[in-house]
Amino acid sequence: MSQGCGHAVDYLYQYIDDELTWSRRVRIRWHLQRCPACVGAYGFESRLKTVIQRCGCDEPPPELYDRLRTLIREEAARDNP
Amino acid sequence: MRGRTNRGALLADRATFEEDALQFAPQLYTAAMRMTRNPSDAEDVVQETYLRAYRAYDTFTAGTNLKAWLYRILTNTYINRYRQAQRRPSEVELGELQDLYLYRRLGEGSGASVSAEDEVLELLVDTDIRTALEELPEHFRLPVLLADVEGFHYKEIAEIMDIPIGTVMSRLHRGRKALQQKLWKVAEERGMVDPNAGSR
Repeated sequence: MSQGCGHAVDYLYQYIDDELTWSRRVRIRWHLQRCPACVGAYGFESRLKTVIQRCGCDEPPPELYDRLRTLIREEAARDNP
Repeated sequence: MRGRTNRGALLADRATFEEDALQFAPQLYTAAMRMTRNPSDAEDVVQETYLRAYRAYDTFTAGTNLKAWLYRILTNTYINRYRQAQRRPSEVELGELQDLYLYRRLGEGSGASVSAEDEVLELLVDTDIRTALEELPEHFRLPVLLADVEGFHYKEIAEIMDIPIGTVMSRLHRGRKALQQKLWKVAEERGMVDPNAGSR
C-alpha cells in the first residue's frame, strides 16, 4: 500500500460520483493505471453503486397519476373559479 | 400569469405544471417509499409534495432544475410530517467502519478467488438492497438515496437537504459504509460468505 493508495481510497467516492476537479481526477487515474489493488476496489465500488441504483425503483400504483391530476385540477379550479 | 425574477429569468407557469412535473412522479414515489417504508405513506407524501409544488410553482425559475426542486419539496414534506415520529439518529449510531468495508470483508473470506466479490453482488437481490437502505438512519439514508439511486450531484443534494456540501459528503461516506455493513450481514445470513473468515 503506497501513499498513492491512501489518496485513491480517500477520493474513491468523489471519483466514482464524478465530483473531482479535472487535475485531481487525472492524478487518481494515473495511480489506477499502475495499481491493480486500487483498480479492484474502484471496480467493486462502482459496480455496487450500479446494483444499488438498479434496485431502487418501485412501480407506483397505476391510480397515482389520476389522483395527482385530480388533485392539481381541483387546486387549479380553486385558483380560477 | 408569467412573471420574472429580479434577475430577469422567467418564472414557471402553473398552467404547464401538470405537463412539466408529473413525469417525475415514479421517481418521487420510489424515493418516498425508501423514506417512509410503506406504500400508503409514500403516496401521501407524493400527493402533498405535488400540491405544495403546484402552489409554489410560480416561484420556480423556469429552465432550472425542476427535478431537484421537486425533491427538495418532497424531502421537506417528509421531514415535516414524520419529524415527531422519527428518532434522531446520532453519529455514534453507525460506529466507525473501515473504508471499503464490504470489499475488504469479502476479500478476507474469499481466499484465492478473484471474482468472489462480484459473485456476492450478483447474489444480492433487489429486496436485500432495499431493506439495507431502509434500515439506515435517516441522516445517512437520504444522501445515499439521493446520490446512488437518484444520481444527484453533491451540490444538488446540499440544496435538496439544505445542508452544507461538506456534510453531504461526510454523511454519504458514512452512510455508504453502513449500507455495506448491512449487506455484509445479509451475505453472512444467507451463507454467501464464510462468517468465520478474516476479522474486522
